[in-house]
Amino acid sequence: MKTDGSVSQVAIPEEILQRIESRGINRRDFIKFCMATTAALALPVTFVPKVAQALEDNRTPVIWLEFQSCSGDSEAFLRANQPTATELILDLISLEYAEVVMAAAGHLAEEAKHQALEKYHGKYILIVEGAIPTKDDGAYCTIAGQSAVASLKQAVAGAAATIAVGSCATSGGLPAAAPNPSGAASVSEIVPGATVVNLPGCPVNATNLTATIVHVLTFGKLPATDRLGRPLFAYGKRIHDNCERRGHFDAGQYAETFGDEAHRKGYCLYKLGCKGPETFHNCPTVRYNEGVSWPVMAGHGCIGCSEPGFWDTMSPFYRRLPKVPGFGIEDTADKIGIGLAAATAAAFAVHGVASCFRKGNPKDESKVIKED
Amino acid sequence: MLEIHYVWQWPVRIAHWINALCIVALSITGTYIGAPFSLGGGVNPYLMGWMRFVHFAAGYLFLVSVLSRILWMFIGNHHASWRAFLPWLTPKGRENFVRMFRYYTFTGNNISHESGHNPVAATAYLGIYALCLFQIFSGFALYGQFAPGGFWDSALGWIFPLLDNQYMRLGHHGVMWLLIGFFINHIYSAWLMDIKQKSGVMSGIVSGYRYIDPEDV
Amino acid sequence: MAKKIVVDPITRIEGHLRIEAEVEGGKITNAWSSSTAFRGIETILKGRDPRDAHHFTQRFCGVCTTVHSMASIRAVEDALKIQVPDNARLIRNLIMGMQGVQDHVIHFYHLHALDWVDITSALKADPAKTSQIAQSISDWPKSSTDYFRQVQARIKAFAETGRLGPFQNAYWGHSAYKLEPEVNLIGLAHYLEALEAQKDMIKVHAILGSKNPHPQTFLVGGMSIPVDPDSQNAINADKIAWIRKLLRNARTFVEQVYIPDLLAVAPAYLDWAGIGGGVGNFLACGDFPTDNSPGTDSLFFPRGIIMGKDLANVMEMDETKITEYVTNSWYTYSNGDDKGLHPYEGETNDKYTGPKPPYEFLDTDSKYSWVKSPRYLDQPMEVGPLARVLVAYASGVPEVKAAVDYVLKTLNAPAAALFSTLGRTAARGVDALILAQKNELWLDQLADNMGRGILEVHNPEKWDPATWPKEARGFGYHEAPRGALGHWIRIEDQKIANYQAVVPSTWNAGPRDAHGQMGPYEAALIGTPIADPEKPVEILRTIHSFDPCLACAVHVLDGQGTEIVKVKIL
Repeated sequence: MKTDGSVSQVAIPEEILQRIESRGINRRDFIKFCMATTAALALPVTFVPKVAQALEDNRTPVIWLEFQSCSGDSEAFLRANQPTATELILDLISLEYAEVVMAAAGHLAEEAKHQALEKYHGKYILIVEGAIPTKDDGAYCTIAGQSAVASLKQAVAGAAATIAVGSCATSGGLPAAAPNPSGAASVSEIVPGATVVNLPGCPVNATNLTATIVHVLTFGKLPATDRLGRPLFAYGKRIHDNCERRGHFDAGQYAETFGDEAHRKGYCLYKLGCKGPETFHNCPTVRYNEGVSWPVMAGHGCIGCSEPGFWDTMSPFYRRLPKVPGFGIEDTADKIGIGLAAATAAAFAVHGVASCFRKGNPKDESKVIKED
Repeated sequence: MLEIHYVWQWPVRIAHWINALCIVALSITGTYIGAPFSLGGGVNPYLMGWMRFVHFAAGYLFLVSVLSRILWMFIGNHHASWRAFLPWLTPKGRENFVRMFRYYTFTGNNISHESGHNPVAATAYLGIYALCLFQIFSGFALYGQFAPGGFWDSALGWIFPLLDNQYMRLGHHGVMWLLIGFFINHIYSAWLMDIKQKSGVMSGIVSGYRYIDPEDV
Repeated sequence: MAKKIVVDPITRIEGHLRIEAEVEGGKITNAWSSSTAFRGIETILKGRDPRDAHHFTQRFCGVCTTVHSMASIRAVEDALKIQVPDNARLIRNLIMGMQGVQDHVIHFYHLHALDWVDITSALKADPAKTSQIAQSISDWPKSSTDYFRQVQARIKAFAETGRLGPFQNAYWGHSAYKLEPEVNLIGLAHYLEALEAQKDMIKVHAILGSKNPHPQTFLVGGMSIPVDPDSQNAINADKIAWIRKLLRNARTFVEQVYIPDLLAVAPAYLDWAGIGGGVGNFLACGDFPTDNSPGTDSLFFPRGIIMGKDLANVMEMDETKITEYVTNSWYTYSNGDDKGLHPYEGETNDKYTGPKPPYEFLDTDSKYSWVKSPRYLDQPMEVGPLARVLVAYASGVPEVKAAVDYVLKTLNAPAAALFSTLGRTAARGVDALILAQKNELWLDQLADNMGRGILEVHNPEKWDPATWPKEARGFGYHEAPRGALGHWIRIEDQKIANYQAVVPSTWNAGPRDAHGQMGPYEAALIGTPIADPEKPVEILRTIHSFDPCLACAVHVLDGQGTEIVKVKIL
């Protein structure tokens, strides 16, 4: 019986469930969570027991470092749902250091970090939030008197894997926007060659962060990534190609101004500057805050926040194309192009009129045979 | 006495007209894709879908046409040869280039006589080939983004970490306007030379024949 | 002999904050507040499209997300004289209101509670007695003996693994923790419940703003979230009902969990009503317009100034009286660092002159922070829920007066008790309660507009930069959860010519000014008792009562600065 076979493959071993229950976790919640995680990782259901085992095993130590950030990624982490932040902290990982939530402060907090760095050397997952400033020996961001550059290098050296969360850690983000006043850099730029998986987004989507953590716990390795080190399960497709409004795009139905009838009807936001066609992210499928919504659904175009350098390349945010370097803020590529074409036409018109009135034969007089 | 020369071989002429057709089609559909107009809610003609289809189909045709023409540079007659696009490699070519340039800028009265491209035009065409190749490269690189890991993405996608796709888009857009500028220039210059050179510049690209005074060559 | 202590990083805040303090006779005698991170967003904004600015400024902070978008779009609207549609006003009020509620809940339970609640003591609590206490202070249904036993068992199992994660190395067992085990257990249970509740209540932001953190529907001239009862892609009756449910749940949580907990914890810490007073000057810019008239008269929380703790005299606030000093900050002004500049003329020229990292101490005799020192009429001002509530209370706003009087009566404390660490924490609760109650009214008004066919959410008149004057400047305000926020923008040739933000934590965390006057954090720390210089939980209490929005650090050394007390972990 095929059905029985697959069911027994999918079932989570009883002893795991019992151990989970003894830790005060509801058995059904746990099974539900394992199924959801397996689905989030795009794995067949036969992987559910493996996922369960990975989650049940000893909690993996995690160190969360925060540099030039707004703590938005930490906040996103607190909004996680599959699993929730509580489940993560209490049941799935051992969060050794995380400034936003940890009880300890000052010297004692630093002690906790250093203990974890030593005790779990080569075993911990390092999560980095925020860019790393390099100007003036790193004085633009210090923690406990130590520069961000120094603490990052030290922590990466002993990490089993490093996850850069948010666009600041993955590509410099906002601090690195032109003219990059503090010399901000990404994790990969500071520690080239390190094994880093990038989870850009401003902030990171909590679903993608938890899915990555669970992927590592389940398979003991980082997920497959694209050229920019972003996991394919989350950044393997453009927003545009998964967008709920794609039908309106293809049909030629666009919102012209915010709040007009087309906008209220949910037409495509392309003409209002949406950057979905150039942005790789899974916002349309996983959405935010437990799948409630995402920017295009709420009537505002995508600003391309998961692409490197998006503050410069995707702005002006309400225009399709970037500003043409050297021209005014109102000069779009099309305005300049039409100007160019018109100027060319005008120049040749003048040239043509002048040529018509031009005297003499351009051919070498000596070579022209005059016939009577 | 004018002689009739067979200058433009059929592959050159076919490539020329296919290119012209593609550039017109790609510019029209490309402009729409970049700045579409709304059709409102009453009709659903799948307009953007068609525009994109035509744009991609014309893009493939353009790719084949431009590559064939480049291939012909190594097969065809000396007018079609890649050497024809580098006129300033020879002393005579340089001399004719200066003469032609002075004519265009009203600083000289004589034109050079070529049965193929005149040297200034040939230089311009070299630039136009570069622009066309950039359009093909950027166009297919952007096209490939719909399927990461697919053929076009694997072939050309490596460019994006080096040059952001938004700037690629801007470049693709800007070069279209340069090509439109060239288009205007090209038609005007052909008309001008047809009148002044009296050698069948306009009809030559249809028939292949030009009327050349053997003394000029 | 004075000892200098350093706390760095100060955790459970946003950003990087460091406190250095001198302790003598068990009390803080001198203090320095330093922000140790700089990003330069004001510099990055120059030359960009003013309509884009709110996306950038929102990233000032991901904890008090939304607030810098609000101030930014208002600054541009002020500069270009744009009137926003009524629906946009209501949607903004709802987003701001929910931000206030959710942010205060996170602050009280996740950032502040562990300064007052000892988790290890909760493990000794009797679940039955806990249940009894919980039921005596609130109707909240999750209060059975079984429930508290379950929570306790879960945390016990967690503690028995020996790996406490974020709870390790804290000041557990410190003599300053005064709650009985049962109240600690209630606090712990609600810490976990609040973690769930906050992520649910903030779904209001997802519905109206697309996501949280960093909602994306703000627009110069209105909002981008469409409203239309006849569309599936807009706020319709179904979404209104969903928001209403979320608002009601949030309100229930505040009324039945947050406020009762606040009132249950406070009596054990009444001595903190006399500690952490600070500068005694309060500034509120007011917020939550109750109708669409221009000006500030319709603001629910009024705009105003209180000087020298004088509640009888609320003065008008005039933004032109604000200046910023960089005397002790790592910046330079082209006309000398001892003169304050109004934000329109403000400069952000970073010049780091502090010690080269790694360092033990900052040179607090010269420049020592990345935060500037804002002053109003040259006086340091405290901003935040306390300032907001005090100005409203002293101005006689009925809802605020009733809530404050209820809290004071329950705690049997005089109004003067508000000028303290405890007062700040209580005012935050009052603020959350009032916002949680007002939110439903704004939702009703929005639904009413929709029902009458008023669907406008954006005023497109001045959307096109071609319609703008060559030069314009504007001031955008917002009463953020952490206090009065101001953005100043100068627009020239359709581009940002200058952008300056004076944020609540700049007011509160700023270093000394040219006249040597301390900022509110520094002033509030003076006189704070320190039972154990190696575990200065008292510093965290006062600093957290301000709800800082930057990351910090605190350390201790001796009066001559020669000997550093190393805190050893055994």
